[in-house]
Amino acid sequence: MFFHMVLERNMQLHPRHFGRDLRDKLVAKLMKDVEGTCSGHHGFIVAITGIESVGKGRIRDGTGFVVFPVKYQCVVFRPFKGEILEAVVTMVNKMGFFAEAGPVQIFVSNHLIPDDMEFQPGDIPNYTTSDGSVKIQKESEVRLKIIGTRVDATEIFCIGTIKDDFLGVISDPGANS
Amino acid sequence: MSEKGGKGGKSSLKSPVGNGDSSGKQKKGKKVQFDSEDSFEMHTQKSNGKADAPAAKGGKGDKTANGSKKSTGKGSTPVERRFDQELPPNSACLMDCEAADILQSIQDQMVILSQDPDIKLPVSFDTGLTYAKRGGSYAKPETVKKIFEPLKKHGVSECEICLIANICPESVDEVFAVVPALKPKMSKLRDPLRIALDELANLKEALANLKNSTT
Repeated sequence: MFFHMVLERNMQLHPRHFGRDLRDKLVAKLMKDVEGTCSGHHGFIVAITGIESVGKGRIRDGTGFVVFPVKYQCVVFRPFKGEILEAVVTMVNKMGFFAEAGPVQIFVSNHLIPDDMEFQPGDIPNYTTSDGSVKIQKESEVRLKIIGTRVDATEIFCIGTIKDDFLGVISDPGANS
Repeated sequence: MSEKGGKGGKSSLKSPVGNGDSSGKQKKGKKVQFDSEDSFEMHTQKSNGKADAPAAKGGKGDKTANGSKKSTGKGSTPVERRFDQELPPNSACLMDCEAADILQSIQDQMVILSQDPDIKLPVSFDTGLTYAKRGGSYAKPETVKKIFEPLKKHGVSECEICLIANICPESVDEVFAVVPALKPKMSKLRDPLRIALDELANLKEALANLKNSTT
């Protein structure tokens, strides 16, 4: 889910950037350092929408760098345990399938796929029901529930399930194109 | 899509009532350890006796074929915490359409700023924008918020409203399945939810008709 939040960060600036464009340089550095990163607490920082305040700079002893506390507003994407969301399948194998919802990767294990869906190997690996009416393959849209999250240095990885009420395939590949 | 039950055609994941086989296929819960910052243990969903149903296009499958569909009480997570309790302060939920508006306006500005090679949007921005714009919904966030406004006085939080709006449920039962935290207030919320969902459906139909008439 997307959130709009106010975060704070201490930005360190080299004296060569001081001058009339100091604030612009600070904001540019903030965007470069922060946009696209992720943390366990905030999730993916998708975009910075504004600067709330830039505090007074403090010179670091011994280096000459100056540290500015910057408060900024941003849009983040953070998945929650128990959240229901819609994702696009990116890969299917006998262990389960991978899907993506925004910048987040989700894995659905075959244990969390309904029992009557079997893995079908081949050129287009997929999970199909016994009557062939429902198929999960690459580019399918599925609704799933997040049951766990893990944060790496640069990405969030989730475990999901479709073995629940109102979960499963929403549309086939190319249905909405 | 309707023939595949994607939006209310076939029944969803549960078997028809009376399928005796399903009760015999109860899976024992398995423990899966996830070593991570927010490590957790989870039990895989126990079959609640209906999990062996044909996994039809159940994303928005209705339950009419199953009659009274039971909730996933047996298989649900032990504690359904409200999302807003985990949020950092100074944060607000955004509906996907709201996020799409904000991100699109940033991208439009990038067209102007794109001559500066130092200014680049990260990959997560593109994937986030694509995700927010999925489904092609053209409803304005303000309109959708107004539709769900009456739910707030029944104790539904902003986060829960955003979750419901993002999912676009077709039935009240779907809402309670998607947001189990609302189940204790089921009796109070049933009617307001029904009204809100009907209004949302009318809005989407009107927007779809408008889009078809202009193309």
